[in-house]
Amino acid sequence: MSMKGKRERYLPLFFVLPTVIIILIISIFPLIYSFWLSLCEWEIGIGADRVFVGLRNYARLLTDSRFLNSLMNTGRVLFFGVGAQFALGLGVALLLNRSFRGKNLVSTLFLLPMMVSPVVVGCIWRIIYHYRYGPLNYMLNMAGLSSVNWLGSTDMAIYSIILADIWEWTPFMMIVLLAGLQAIPDELYEAARVDGANRWQIFTYMLVPLLRPVMIIVILIRIMDTFKIFDLVFLITFGGPGQASETVSFYNYLTGFRHFSMGYASSMAYFQLAIIVIIANIFLRVWRRREEA
Amino acid sequence: MFKKIFVLVIALVFLTSAAYAATTTLTVVGDAGHNMRPFEWYEGDFRELYGVELIQVGVPFGLLYESQRIEFIGETGAYDFMIVYPKFLAEFAANGWLYPLDDFIQEKDPNFDDIIPAYLEFYCKYKGEVFALPYDGDVLSLYYRLDLLENEEEKAAFQDKHGYELKVPETWDEFLDVAEFFTRKAGETLAGEVLNRDFYGTAYYGVKDQLWGWWAAMFASHGGVYFDEETFEPGINSEAAVKATEIMMEFHNYSPPDVLAYGYEELKDVFLEGDCFMVMQWPCIGKKGADPAESRIVGKIGATHVPGVRVNGEVYFRAPMPAGRVLAIAADAEDPWKAYQVIWHLSVVTSLDDVSTHLTGLDPYRFSHFEHPEAYGMFEEIRDAEIYLAGLRQNLENGFPELTLPGTVEYLDTLGVELTNAIVGAKEPQQALDDAASAWRDITNRLGFEAQKAFYVELVEGWREAGLWD
Amino acid sequence: MRYRKNGVNILVFFGLAILLLFFLSPIIWNVLTSFKDRGEYFTYPPVFISSTFSFEYYQHGLAIGGAKGIQDSLIITLSTTAISVILGSLAAYSIARFRIGGDNFAFWILSIRMLPPVASLLPLFLFFRFLRLLDTYEALILTYSIINLPFVVWLMKGFFEELPKELEEAALVDGCSRLGAFTRIALPLVSPGLVATALFCFMFSWNEFIFALILGRSRVVPVTVNIAGMIGGHEILWAEISAVATLASVPIILLAFVLQRFLVRGLTLGAVKG
Repeated sequence: MSMKGKRERYLPLFFVLPTVIIILIISIFPLIYSFWLSLCEWEIGIGADRVFVGLRNYARLLTDSRFLNSLMNTGRVLFFGVGAQFALGLGVALLLNRSFRGKNLVSTLFLLPMMVSPVVVGCIWRIIYHYRYGPLNYMLNMAGLSSVNWLGSTDMAIYSIILADIWEWTPFMMIVLLAGLQAIPDELYEAARVDGANRWQIFTYMLVPLLRPVMIIVILIRIMDTFKIFDLVFLITFGGPGQASETVSFYNYLTGFRHFSMGYASSMAYFQLAIIVIIANIFLRVWRRREEA
Repeated sequence: MFKKIFVLVIALVFLTSAAYAATTTLTVVGDAGHNMRPFEWYEGDFRELYGVELIQVGVPFGLLYESQRIEFIGETGAYDFMIVYPKFLAEFAANGWLYPLDDFIQEKDPNFDDIIPAYLEFYCKYKGEVFALPYDGDVLSLYYRLDLLENEEEKAAFQDKHGYELKVPETWDEFLDVAEFFTRKAGETLAGEVLNRDFYGTAYYGVKDQLWGWWAAMFASHGGVYFDEETFEPGINSEAAVKATEIMMEFHNYSPPDVLAYGYEELKDVFLEGDCFMVMQWPCIGKKGADPAESRIVGKIGATHVPGVRVNGEVYFRAPMPAGRVLAIAADAEDPWKAYQVIWHLSVVTSLDDVSTHLTGLDPYRFSHFEHPEAYGMFEEIRDAEIYLAGLRQNLENGFPELTLPGTVEYLDTLGVELTNAIVGAKEPQQALDDAASAWRDITNRLGFEAQKAFYVELVEGWREAGLWD
Repeated sequence: MRYRKNGVNILVFFGLAILLLFFLSPIIWNVLTSFKDRGEYFTYPPVFISSTFSFEYYQHGLAIGGAKGIQDSLIITLSTTAISVILGSLAAYSIARFRIGGDNFAFWILSIRMLPPVASLLPLFLFFRFLRLLDTYEALILTYSIINLPFVVWLMKGFFEELPKELEEAALVDGCSRLGAFTRIALPLVSPGLVATALFCFMFSWNEFIFALILGRSRVVPVTVNIAGMIGGHEILWAEISAVATLASVPIILLAFVLQRFLVRGLTLGAVKG
């Protein structure tokens, strides 16, 4: 009995151990290693040795106009991209939050864009955005509008990326928000209706507060992923024209794996991580406060 | 009877295993697509002649550098030999990642006398030692629509407008005049026919990685240089650079609106689909232009030297030489000698076949390639092949070498970004170029000022020897 | 008339139809492109339905690496999904039931997801070179597993917390072991969540690109890398790209349809609770 009791006591630990070990070995190691690199200058392009330079890479970040530009672009994707995904996703979720025949089928159809690989999404949109032969400009022309220079204009390129991103990730927002909506018991709707609330009041006074934790989490997940947006930029514009559609993670890739300034690239990754952690903390604080209240 | 069969089987097993033992498996990496086709075509030859079994790895051509580089850094020994862009050769060789070929060359002669000096000197050598054999010679030429240029109606209209005869543009001023003249909107007429879509005077490679190559045609003909040899100050914000940028900004107006998103593929398409009057392009557009499957302007293409500047009645022009391809062997290759035999085969035995077919993007790099216009079978008439080769030849003799310093990718990348800023009007040309120059100084300092300078001085000496530098 | 059960009126119907059109037309366009001939994908006005409509480009696309890519992706994806779901749910169960690691453990695990991939690319590359695992299935399976694990733990923890403790306690009183209580009571009850989680893992690994690009090479070329390789070449074979892209999307889409019941329900069960 005592043997068994002992085994039982350590069982939970055994459950967690594999995960922790894997994460420690191949996730924490890169984390520490690349932090060390971020304090070094390491131009592996010319086979130079690693030189410890302290915080110089971080100082360089703040004066690198191309980095600041990429930060701005990421901000645009966050603001317009995630914003539109949220609004659209919530809209679709509200439309789907009712029972009708074929509802599961329709919801699944809505999910297809996020199921398709971003590489495929990039290829698809590159054809769609083609200035002379793309179906999008063709439809605009049919509607009597003039062609839009989707990929060849420095003002437009980043928004073309954003549109493709919205297309790809709205379904994610939609499905999670829909799940949240369906978790709300019918009785609450009934009660609200009995109290004489109209639809708008139900939405603002009941649904939004109840959905708040879900909203916060889903937006947070999208923000974290948006900082990593890479495949779409890589395939649709490769950051161009010029630097017009470079996002932080794309510029980060360029510095690390094209210019091979490994130290600088690592510092950029850490800077990015710091921003994400700050944002995540703000979100979670808001979320916890809600929960406690 | 049974015994006989048994012996036969044993003998067969021995034979095949002996043959098997003699073959070595080598891995080659290159830019995916048409330029790796020769490896497929001659697979059988490599096996029979040299006992080499090839594994091919194709990488998107914009990623070739990164993927080779990361294998070298990781010392993985993944690739035995590879297609290398000459601009990275110095970097790779300086790091000791490539196998020096001088001894092999003694043993199996790649016929260097036949190779155009420019391609030999700075495509294949590093500090006087040979590290690669050429595979693809690249230089920009001006390709234009012969049929439109000879159209009487257009000729008369041009004469009226500009007061001189419509002809192949030789200077930048003429280039801009002609480009402007041929830029038409849908609904206007071109050579007597009403256009159903826009027609453009010209187009260029607008993606930032090679944008500098088109700009360099103007820059170099105005006397621009990459760096000052004495002080190693960047020369890309000089007067010549500003002038070049201004010309570029003007011919941007006569290009398709989305030209800044044009890479090789788009630039080729806009011309071959008959939507553009003239382009500076790599030679393969001439070959592909003669293939009816890809081109709507078969037999209508003229080729000549890139425009320049008139000095004392003579036109001074410089044709940039972006890209190009050479074949090099990794220092840690499984069997360097066998790998050498394969690249020798491609660079010597099959080279004329490979550069003279529209199925590859490979272009002439040997004198002998120019002496056989009949080999270029896609041209229906030998005259077209001759036009193509003559245009190419002219440019080669006035080539403007590509920068091949360590860090070239970053230098040219930042230049491309700032040129884009100037073209779209986000910065004044001088301002954009000053910013590019200051970025270049930073790169130089990071990579080591003295080392980079010594490197450059040596490069320039090589260019001078090849007769391509003043 | 209840707020959410009022069926579909004409407005809702049109709203959904227009939105569906927006979300589906690019995919349909891709499928249409895969049947087009060379001269048909870049024309004005665009060709919608190919005149030849042959499967030639499917064959060619598969022959130039598509088939190998799909096979590699399947191997990697199935292994990754199995590993991360099994290990992840064990860990999640412990966290949910025994508060291993305190309240912030799950958050800490999730924060690993925040690290930009570029930061871990080079260290991982060097790490796998050290183990001589570059260009092997193992490298990608391991990498994807660590990326997936935090997500699995996060989702499954939510599902387990939803379960009333009493069920397992009753089983324990009846003489069931802890492990038995986990496998026989807890696991079956969260199976819809498990399926949904597995589907997300599958999706992630199937679609991943940047790690596959750097850690794979010649022996292991997942389908995403294969497609990107075709687009970067000197001649962009749009029909072949679309054909392989269509085929690469089939498994995911099939799974989504077969498991659609679990997808929404699984998420409803607990994911949204965090």
